[in-house]
Amino acid sequence: MPVPDLFAEGLARGWKTHDGSRLEADLTLEADIAIVGTGAGGGTSAELLSAAGFKVLLIEEGPLKTSRDFHMQEAEAYPSLYQEAIGRTSKDGAITILQGRTVGGTTVVNWTSSFRTPVATLSHWADAHGVRGHGVEDLAPWFERMERRLGIEPWPVAPNANNDVIRAGCQALGYDWAVIPRNVRGCWNLGYCGMGCPTNAKQSMLVTTVPATLENGGELLYLARAERLHFAGDRVDWLECLGMDDRCVAPNGRRIVVRARHYILAGGGINTPAVLLRSDAPDPHGRTGKRTFLHPVNFSAALFDEVINPFYGAPQSIYSDHFQWQGGIDGPIGYKLEVPPMHPAIASTLLGRFGVDNALRMEQLPHTNVLIALLRDGFHPESAEGTVLLRDDGSPTLDYRMTDYTWDGLRRAYHSMADIQFAAGAREVLPLHNAARHARSLAEARALIDDLPLELFRTRLGSAHVMGGCAMGEDARTAVVDSLGRHHQVENLSIHDGSLFPTSIGANPQLSVYGVTARLSSLLAERLRA
Amino acid sequence: MTTAPASSSRRNLLRFGLLGGAALATVGLTASLTGCSADAPAAGFSQLRDGDLPLLRRLIPVILDGAVPPPAPPDATAATLAGIDRAIAHLSPALATQVLQLFDLLTLPVTRGPLTGIWGDWTSASDEQVRAFLGRWEGSRLMLLRQGYSSLLQLTLMSWYSQPQAWAACGYPGPPTV
Ligand SMILES: Cc1cc2nc3c(=O)[nH]c(=O)nc-3n(C[C@H](O)[C@H](O)[C@H](O)COP(=O)(O)OP(=O)(O)OC[C@H]3O[C@@H](n4cnc5c(N)ncnc54)[C@H](O)[C@@H]3O)c2cc1C
Ligand code: SF4
Repeated sequence: MPVPDLFAEGLARGWKTHDGSRLEADLTLEADIAIVGTGAGGGTSAELLSAAGFKVLLIEEGPLKTSRDFHMQEAEAYPSLYQEAIGRTSKDGAITILQGRTVGGTTVVNWTSSFRTPVATLSHWADAHGVRGHGVEDLAPWFERMERRLGIEPWPVAPNANNDVIRAGCQALGYDWAVIPRNVRGCWNLGYCGMGCPTNAKQSMLVTTVPATLENGGELLYLARAERLHFAGDRVDWLECLGMDDRCVAPNGRRIVVRARHYILAGGGINTPAVLLRSDAPDPHGRTGKRTFLHPVNFSAALFDEVINPFYGAPQSIYSDHFQWQGGIDGPIGYKLEVPPMHPAIASTLLGRFGVDNALRMEQLPHTNVLIALLRDGFHPESAEGTVLLRDDGSPTLDYRMTDYTWDGLRRAYHSMADIQFAAGAREVLPLHNAARHARSLAEARALIDDLPLELFRTRLGSAHVMGGCAMGEDARTAVVDSLGRHHQVENLSIHDGSLFPTSIGANPQLSVYGVTARLSSLLAERLRA
Repeated sequence: MTTAPASSSRRNLLRFGLLGGAALATVGLTASLTGCSADAPAAGFSQLRDGDLPLLRRLIPVILDGAVPPPAPPDATAATLAGIDRAIAHLSPALATQVLQLFDLLTLPVTRGPLTGIWGDWTSASDEQVRAFLGRWEGSRLMLLRQGYSSLLQLTLMSWYSQPQAWAACGYPGPPTV
């Protein structure tokens, strides 16, 4: 039985979409509310605002790909569904940055872990960043609502062997661990969430809020990049979009003029600040693109006698926060421990050698477990942080600067991961660093890790969580938008995505984006109706 | 806009390129590089140029040494080359330009020798010489060389391991049927 393709059926029923790669002439589109980006923040906002009776236009740079296009092939998924065809990195090239670029945004390729914003993070925003109205009680009803909307529940099925390493290791050591809530309905437990869910089980924006918006009479323009906002006084007058070629590499010469009463930027971290920078939006205190955070990640591989098959099964189902808050909110940097799915192409870049070493590591893939530590950046003055810059052609890049404070966390994380892997029964542990070798005992691993030269490129680093860059807060000298997501200097412009966060989240961010932007959208609807 | 390969002027390469500034200033070759070599794609490719092919045809088998079990599919190198070409064709123009600039540095005789230790042309480089070059860049104190190594490795490995013919050697049965 083929999986029904909800999107294709809706299109057949008359949903209104425009393909920017196939326009025969320039186009003008009008709406009450124009939303740039169809990911977590854009999709959530669009559904709420279209349900409130506003005519919504969604604008997406990436292509429209649906379940019938998702073949669980890395060769297809990475070039078509990811920013810069998965080539995005920090400016110096040392940190691989994964972000989605397709209708549904990063939610189409994310791994479905769904956590509410930690209480400590919310209090820190109120205390240190002048954020008002984002307390636990303010947000709880919005988290509940989005959890219901997206089927978020602790994963009821046994974890795959890759995730079970966290459970077994933490159990043996007396560390905290727990089951991850996932946004799925009828999940087949396949493990290909990162390549687009072929069964529509994952409740991404592609199968939930974007279809709902179209059903409510909204429109979708895809393969079109929001290039520049044009201002008249302290208002956005119109938005200039560029049609993209069908590979989504370069503009194809078509221009789309968008006019709306209100504009929402929801292009995600890096991309939303880039729209503002390209537009020369007012920025009297130079805050746009500053304080961008990544949850920088390091990796530890382990070999087990038993079969792990880290490429199959729900990619993330167990986590440990044992080391997340140990030093307090702004002590030594904390980290969350999880696992990544390991399909061959991605695995080969992480295991990272050439020649026989590579072949031997790859040959053992079925017996390999990999742990990741996601560092909670942005809570301490000495934390690493990034600044969004524009390249000569107007495309963005992130100048992310590591610090000793952050390197220290990475070294501690290598230790924690090796501890857990050995406690779970690993035969050998390999911190993914180019000066490391397989350690056969915990003592050997400890000595090895203490000696690793922690330097860019030698240390394998990645990120799948871009946050911040358009921080919210009441003080216009430090924040780009206020606590309601309204741009401090531009009247009819809001930001509703992960770039709002004044620090990293300290948990995988999607549910934070859903909850926060749902609340901001309902308040925006009230203001626009008034 | 054009879909031609993301080439750039050699002058740009020298001033801003991936390995530009620092590395090239030290070898002091600024003037001699402008305006040489063809930028058009090689026959059968959309991005890779004739000058890139000998380099990649030597690098790929060394990087994949042991990963292609005997009897080797005869076209592992060809398949990886095609994958690299496809990958570059989907990168953002800025990144594609950086990759081609890296290939320029590795192939133009004036930079190839000093930066790689390979003084003859790539076709005649031995496996041992190619390994020595990769090892030297991997552990280099110059971040720009480590970056170059990382780009070469990732492009090659991703292009090979995303192909079904690579999977038997890493115990991946492939995706299930839905
Ligand atoms: C591989 C991977 C796994 C992840 N796993 C998890 C997980 O398990 N749990 C979790 O909580 N989080 C996870 N995340 C992160 C999470 O999905 C994101 O943090 C979240 O989706 C961010 O939401 P957003 O609204 O800020 O932006 P996005 O969801 O990234 O959406 C932004 C959209 O806007 C588009 N856009 C950007 N600029 C423009 C422009 N100028 N014009 C038009 N369109 C534009 C982009 O193409 C994109 O489609 C994962 C991320 C990745 C990459
Ligand atoms: S694990 Fe579940 S949600 Fe992920 S791709 Fe498979 S079926 Fe979809």
